[in-house]
Amino acid sequence: MPYNIAMVCDFFFPQPGGVESHIYQLSSKLIDRGHKVIIITHAYAGRTGIRYLTNGLKVYHVPFFVIYRETTFPTVFSFFPIFRSIMIREQIEIVHGHASLSNLCIEAILHGRTMGLRTVFTDHSLFGFADAGSILTNKLLKFALSDIDHVICVSHTCKENTVLRASLDPLMVSVIPNAVVAENFRPLSQLSPGTHQRNAPGPPPRISPQDPITIVVISRLFYNKGTDLLIAAIPRIMALDLNVRFIIAGSGPKAIDLEQMIERNVLQDQVELLGPVRHEEVRDVMVRGHIYLHPSLTEAFGTVIVEAASCGLYVVCTRVGGIPEVLPGHMTEFAKPEEDDIVAATGRAIAALRAGKVRTELFHNQVKQMYSWTDVAQRTERVYDGISGVLSPDQFYQGVGAAGAWTATRGRAGVQSFALIERLKRYYGCGIWAGKLFCLCVIVDYLLYVVLEIFAPRSRIDLARNWPRKELPDTNTKSKDTDMTKAESGITRKRSARQRRERKGEPGDD
Amino acid sequence: MEAWATLAVVSPSFDAWRRTKSTFMNVHGNSESRYLTPHAMETFTVLQPTSSTVSFTVSTRPALRTIPTRLSYYVSIIIKILLGALALVALWTKWRTSSAKPTAIIGWMLGDALEVWLVNTVNRVQWMYLAPLAGAVIYSVSRRGYTEESLLVLSSLGLQTRTSAPSYLSTSTTRFIPSTSIQDIFIHEAFKGFEVRFYLAIVVKGEEDVVVVFPKLLPKREVLEEVWRGARACLYGGGDAPAKEKGKEKA
Repeated sequence: MPYNIAMVCDFFFPQPGGVESHIYQLSSKLIDRGHKVIIITHAYAGRTGIRYLTNGLKVYHVPFFVIYRETTFPTVFSFFPIFRSIMIREQIEIVHGHASLSNLCIEAILHGRTMGLRTVFTDHSLFGFADAGSILTNKLLKFALSDIDHVICVSHTCKENTVLRASLDPLMVSVIPNAVVAENFRPLSQLSPGTHQRNAPGPPPRISPQDPITIVVISRLFYNKGTDLLIAAIPRIMALDLNVRFIIAGSGPKAIDLEQMIERNVLQDQVELLGPVRHEEVRDVMVRGHIYLHPSLTEAFGTVIVEAASCGLYVVCTRVGGIPEVLPGHMTEFAKPEEDDIVAATGRAIAALRAGKVRTELFHNQVKQMYSWTDVAQRTERVYDGISGVLSPDQFYQGVGAAGAWTATRGRAGVQSFALIERLKRYYGCGIWAGKLFCLCVIVDYLLYVVLEIFAPRSRIDLARNWPRKELPDTNTKSKDTDMTKAESGITRKRSARQRRERKGEPGDD
Repeated sequence: MEAWATLAVVSPSFDAWRRTKSTFMNVHGNSESRYLTPHAMETFTVLQPTSSTVSFTVSTRPALRTIPTRLSYYVSIIIKILLGALALVALWTKWRTSSAKPTAIIGWMLGDALEVWLVNTVNRVQWMYLAPLAGAVIYSVSRRGYTEESLLVLSSLGLQTRTSAPSYLSTSTTRFIPSTSIQDIFIHEAFKGFEVRFYLAIVVKGEEDVVVVFPKLLPKREVLEEVWRGARACLYGGGDAPAKEKGKEKA
């Protein structure tokens, strides 16, 4: 059953980032599956008005005032008239918000429920509970998620975190991981998609003690990404094995500390700092190395380690957040987030590579089978089915709890009632003062809706035309899937050709 | 608790009055405005005197098809003219009397009794009140009260956009764009105030901004599509079939 879906988030292209590409990839795969998807974000410099991306993905860049790190100013109600106009003209049924720091998303969920739309929220990050900022954010999240149909988290750790932060029923939180476009992250040995090495056994490659091993680190150089650990660990890893090289890409406030460490230890020859790299260049940096080191202190999912594994790198990472769920054990070497353990783990990884115990050349195909956006879109679609009542609650929750046992949650997690009193009940439980304040907000929002219905009636709003869909010759879903994979491979072939060209041009730069 | 419960029952019934009559503008002139909101009272007319000329007009002018509407329209015009004339005469009289000049001409035209009454009335009112009052009357009388925008397409010559002036005292703004400098005509959407509206725009060679057709009224999508097809057919002649397909893509 095709849905009309609106993805709402403050963060979208042209700004680069994980959330942005998640929204884009998910939307385009949902469109491939026959849904209609629009994206609502705020206006960026040079990106205003209404735009179309590939495949008829429509993007509304709502003119809004940006205050901090591309987040809009929280004016709870001012977004409502324009939001309502968009919802009506695009005949939206499901509002899907992304990222808990996005003010636009939180407002959209509130207004969406007021308008009687189904709402879904995807959380992409982990938060603390202790500091003032986190407490405030958590309260806001609790407000937004008090009345929501379903929540999606990118990892089980993220799910636990979100359930605790927003006091949700765990049943209404699903885990759908991120994915990577594996075709964009091929190891060096696999340039064209035709040369599958899946059943080419051969002896595992060994790296002799004389050959250098290159360790790649690509991250923003922030405290939470573990740059301090990295800075402390690099000289000790160097001392462990003389034939180790580092390539570090990324920028951030900790870059200066990193440079100081290099100068203090005179490691200019062994450590290469690349500065910021664009996302499409990440693969070209990764394939230069053998090991990917990820010393992050907190991470909800860690798409970058999947990308690294897809490029055929052995991954050394800290056992924090959602990282342990992401890759199977034979691709990773885990460490505690402390200096000694990271050094030890890296040492183990180097030894394993030198002994030829790791089949890194097989990683790409394994990752390709584990992660695909088509799969993510399928699972998201199932969530949509569940909240709009296409799947019965029993099917959706796979029989967790007997019919009577979960009535209290079914009111929340099942097909939700839009009645104002039911919604107020949900908000009232948010806190002694907050509950009343939130109820007030919801009531004002509702009154605003009534006023808008009178003074800007629905009948006066033009319906937008849908992007013309290409009719697939066969309606059978199976053939549809093969069609899609064909289309995908076509795209990848093009893309890989471009990459090859880029790569040809590259040696000159090196 | 009871009251809450009734509220809960009532709230979903929005759907009922939400789906009232759908506004749909009557294409080809036969307009009938049944809507209370002045915004929706737009009429759309297509005039095609020859095969190479076509004019599209969107207007908020009330249609005069029944005798009472026509009568009230003419009566209102007469009242407007009389009020305007009265304001002008009052100003003139005040000027004449305050500078101690004769006002006999009024006497000749309207009769002496009226002249005396007018002079007395005007003398009682100070300039301070009379001037703004007269100004306001003239201003409100000269208001057109409706907007009319049109697009005239002349095959192989070009097209002309016209927006009526808000008052009778000024002329409408027109713009002619020769067909050699028309690069494209398209329909797109934009944020306008608190809503998203469709607009028909013309890309003119050598200009940074596009020219928006019907900039004040911004009519409905159905109307714009009709205009778009008609304009393309007339300008580029015979390109109707591909034009339609392209229209679907763009709209």
